[in-house]
Amino acid sequence: MTGGAEVRAEARATVFIVDDDLSICEGLCNLLESVGIPARCFSSAEEFRGQWSAGFAGCLLLDARLPGMSGVELHQQMQQAGMEIPVIFMTAHGDIPMVRKVLKAGAVEFLTKPFQKEELLHAVEQAFALDRARREEEAVTRSIRARLQLLTERERSVLQMVTAGLLNKQIAAELNLSEITVKLHRRHVMDKMQASSLAELVRLCERVKVPVWPGETQ
Amino acid sequence: MTCARGRICAQGGRGKRLYDASMTGEESSRISRWAMEYGLKPFAIASFFVLVALLWTFLLQHEIAYPFVFLFFGAIMGSAWFGGLISGFWAVGLSSLLITYFFIPPYFSMQVARNSQSFLAAFILCAIAITIVSSSRKRAETAIRAARDQLETKVQERTAELQQSNLEIQESERQLRLLTEAIPQQIWRADAEGSVEYCNLPLRDYIGHSMEELHGRGFFAVVHPEDAPLYRAGWQAALNSGERFEAEVRVRSAAGLYRWFLVRSLPQRAQDGQIARWYTIHIDIEEQRRAQQELVFAQEDLARLSRTMSMAEMAASIAHELNQPMTAVVTHAYACREWLRSEPANVEKASATAEKIVRESTRASEVVKRVRALFRKEAQVREEADVNQLIRELARLLRDEAIRRDVTIRLGLAETLPRLAVDQVQIQQVLLNLAMNGMEAMAGLAGHHELRIRSEAYGEGAVLVVVEDEGPGIAPEMASRIFEPFFTTKPQGTGIGLAICRSIVEAHEGRLWAANSAQGGAVLQFTVRAQS
Repeated sequence: MTGGAEVRAEARATVFIVDDDLSICEGLCNLLESVGIPARCFSSAEEFRGQWSAGFAGCLLLDARLPGMSGVELHQQMQQAGMEIPVIFMTAHGDIPMVRKVLKAGAVEFLTKPFQKEELLHAVEQAFALDRARREEEAVTRSIRARLQLLTERERSVLQMVTAGLLNKQIAAELNLSEITVKLHRRHVMDKMQASSLAELVRLCERVKVPVWPGETQ
Repeated sequence: MTCARGRICAQGGRGKRLYDASMTGEESSRISRWAMEYGLKPFAIASFFVLVALLWTFLLQHEIAYPFVFLFFGAIMGSAWFGGLISGFWAVGLSSLLITYFFIPPYFSMQVARNSQSFLAAFILCAIAITIVSSSRKRAETAIRAARDQLETKVQERTAELQQSNLEIQESERQLRLLTEAIPQQIWRADAEGSVEYCNLPLRDYIGHSMEELHGRGFFAVVHPEDAPLYRAGWQAALNSGERFEAEVRVRSAAGLYRWFLVRSLPQRAQDGQIARWYTIHIDIEEQRRAQQELVFAQEDLARLSRTMSMAEMAASIAHELNQPMTAVVTHAYACREWLRSEPANVEKASATAEKIVRESTRASEVVKRVRALFRKEAQVREEADVNQLIRELARLLRDEAIRRDVTIRLGLAETLPRLAVDQVQIQQVLLNLAMNGMEAMAGLAGHHELRIRSEAYGEGAVLVVVEDEGPGIAPEMASRIFEPFFTTKPQGTGIGLAICRSIVEAHEGRLWAANSAQGGAVLQFTVRAQS
């Protein structure tokens, strides 16, 4: 939650529109601009893929049927490639199986052309919220990972054993150290991980999925 | 006598052969035969006759007072007759010597008394005359006989030939009759007045009447009552004019059912040009009639079906085509309202947006217009059109369909094409059909494919359009049949698409043909010519 401000500063949420019909692109841009939402147009799925950068924030407004690579195909490829931007599909006449398929695959919304302003803005807001949450989440895990990077090898082992519920005595026996040394390591870990309690340390570890102790040694 | 004549004849024949043999040049045998022909044999004959005459003269001379030499004339005549001219002269010589010796004083001497010289001379002259006359008569007679014999042989030969040809005619007549009885067609024959003389077996079987019942004008009884007056009138007119006659009538079968027949009558004329007979054949056209009727119905159905089918195929495309500008209009309209609502109102942006709304609305109404033109029923008018424009419009209409099928429609249009007076709807139907066929041909294939539509000028005042797909192409055994009505390779196909296309193209003085490309896909191309 603490990283939210950084994310917004990083890139302003934009609607990326992919539609081969220029007048549709133009209309959507105009409408979004009129309500103060920045928008960028791409005339094909290939063009969007080519210009993709991880800094793209906001959502993708994607026509399901496109010449060449279709919208549905682009969506699949994005998921495989880890391009995690929320997708709103739009089409002239969405058939039910296709709608079901893309929604199941993780699309935010499915809009049928022509759509009401409220429908579009609602979907965009929803997608932006999702994207924001995703980005915040990403920022948090990124900072936890950065903190983990600060730990020494020994401290990392201590961290794993502590979160696994081992006592200082057990850890000392396990690592062949004195109990005092273990306590020292433990304080360093708590400082570096910016954790105020053992409970918080465990939560931080879970968020970045730090391997549990016996798993690593085995 | 007959024996003697026969021998002479034989000799004459042999003489001819001798002459022929002499041409071969066997000198000795030629001379001996020559001696035989002109020496020995005539001499022997002459001697025989003269000796007989001499003996009878000795016997009779005492009964007759005057110098009696008439029998010698007889001998000379006989020799000349049977032995020819040479034999006659031999007889003349012998007779003269014997008469001189025996009967002209001084007797038993070869001297001739002065007063007897004229007698002897007269005798010799008469004898020579007799020889010439007799031998020439004989020759004439022989020639006549030979001619008569020849004639007789010829007559015999001719008689035999005549008999043979008579037999042949009888045989062929028999075969013909068998044939007329055996063929499934019904045949009858009528005389010049039109009364029936003969009906073949199939006709009798079909009608179930005997020959006697059909004789004369009985045939009319089996013609359907509705057709009979017309048929009777036509038949009567044919009999009067002598021209061939044809009519389609229903004829009642033995079972009482009527079937359609084509009844065709041909007159047979005699040498003098007068009609001798009428021959009539009945051809069963019931199936044909029925099929024709069905075809008419089927064609009506199919015309309707094809229209609705192409409509169904295009409905989705049209919806999309119309939806795009509508979507743009709606979004622009919302934007316009937002620009005006903002504080302060952004009039500049709002008016620019309003411009766009106008533009997009116009585009939408053009789509509506075009669609209406496409499905206008009375689309018969030929208008000047740009074939490229028709192709572009079609590509736009098919856009959605192409996307659905993962096909890219690539256009390769000539920059300048002559404008042609065409029925735009029909030409677009042809384009649609060829394009849909092309896309369907690529339906079962993996991956992305292209449908290429090209246009180019085709000589003066004509345009060539080529539609090429990347499908499996046209199998050689199908190539000749794909334009046939009702022939299809698609499970749900009606087999009329290409047939209609071809008729449309031909109505535009063009040609539609198919081939396979070097890559194996089907290439359908057609030409359209400018209407004068």
